[in-house]
Amino acid sequence: MKRRVLILAVASLLLALVLGQLNHYLAMWTVHVWCGGLFVAFAALRFGYGAGALASFIAGLLLDAGEPVAFGTQAFLFLAAHAVIFKVRARAPRDATIIGVMAALLANLGLFLALSFLRIDPNLKADQAWLRIFADLLASQVVIALIAPWFFAVQTRLLEATGTNLRDFSRRAF
Amino acid sequence: MLPQRIDQAKPFLTLGLALLAWLLIPTAVKRMTRTGFFELQAPLATTASYVRDLQDFWSLKTRSKNELIEAGRDVARLNAAYESRLQQDAALRSEIERLERILKLPIPAGHRAEPARVVLRDFSSWWQQLVIRKGHNYGIVVGSPVIFAGGVVGRVREVYAYTSVVELISSPGMRIAAVAEGDTRPISYQGAINPTYGPAVGVVEYVPLDVFATPAAPRRLVTSGLGGVFPPNLTIGYMTKVEASSDGLFKSGDVRLDSALSALNEVTVLVPADRPSTR
Repeated sequence: MKRRVLILAVASLLLALVLGQLNHYLAMWTVHVWCGGLFVAFAALRFGYGAGALASFIAGLLLDAGEPVAFGTQAFLFLAAHAVIFKVRARAPRDATIIGVMAALLANLGLFLALSFLRIDPNLKADQAWLRIFADLLASQVVIALIAPWFFAVQTRLLEATGTNLRDFSRRAF
Repeated sequence: MLPQRIDQAKPFLTLGLALLAWLLIPTAVKRMTRTGFFELQAPLATTASYVRDLQDFWSLKTRSKNELIEAGRDVARLNAAYESRLQQDAALRSEIERLERILKLPIPAGHRAEPARVVLRDFSSWWQQLVIRKGHNYGIVVGSPVIFAGGVVGRVREVYAYTSVVELISSPGMRIAAVAEGDTRPISYQGAINPTYGPAVGVVEYVPLDVFATPAAPRRLVTSGLGGVFPPNLTIGYMTKVEASSDGLFKSGDVRLDSALSALNEVTVLVPADRPSTR
């Protein structure tokens, strides 16, 4: 379990780096992408509960470390999203990439709105705030739709390269 | 074996227990973990910024000699202008010091200017911040003001071993005591929600009723020097609109910030003069 969690943490680190660089360039146009759902989807769909939850939690802590939120905010949001996806995953062919992309998009939608409600100052102009939030959300969803298959493939290859067979987890509930 | 209903709720029970355990963890442990996770990512982001600098270097190498000669000539002209300004500045500084001695005024502590490259820019709707390539190794401290050619950039929020995080003035949580140029009465400046594809903006409150600003005739907003963080007279932005607030006692309005704020590559940290660099 430790090795699987470590591999997913390395993959999350890679994704955080890629998104950080993307946001660095997008800052010129005041656009920001936040792909929290992508950090959670693979672990929730393909892993057992313990390893997947721990990997999602670590990914949240990685994001929390550099951002002005209470440490653990995004980690617990990820853990909640993981629990929801894990609960409903038996109803869909969860090995399929398209299901993974859909799960990442839906999780990101929920997480993005939850984080917005937590972070937006109610004293600021609400119409401008939500206009900006929806613009960022749209950009984030487009980026997830584009890079999710690549990221799932990276995670699968990393796990295969270290001798982890994902089929072992496909029939397990916990 | 657990009853089916409890078994199905297991993910949410685990979530609740984890949250409870997290709340009981001492703050010092969380602080250490946070620093550890940040320092783990810092070398990756810093390496990426060095790679960007190398890309810029090679792209500049493709410029023709004529372009370089023209750029050198422009820089020489600017240097000559700045030399003359420096001489005027030195004369004014000695005059201020003479008056301070005569009037026995307290002499404010100076700052050491520490230029730093930008590693990452983060302009979300929730916060705006920069990561810069200098930290404890250059004596940077939390709360240090950060400036650039266009005025105030923000304030150092976190300092790590080799990097620091700067909260930008456009960030909604950022507040600065300001004054309208040519006025001494304090105004409260706060960062605001920044529109997509537009320049960064802020808002002002407690503007005196006799201060006017319109998009056609904007009024420069500068730091007041109150609060002791920012030196006085640094440009924050331009007030483009002020209207009487609901209580009728003051005005509130909008501030347009420098459009270069979202594309910065280099900034200067004003470190208190008594903080030596360990490097």
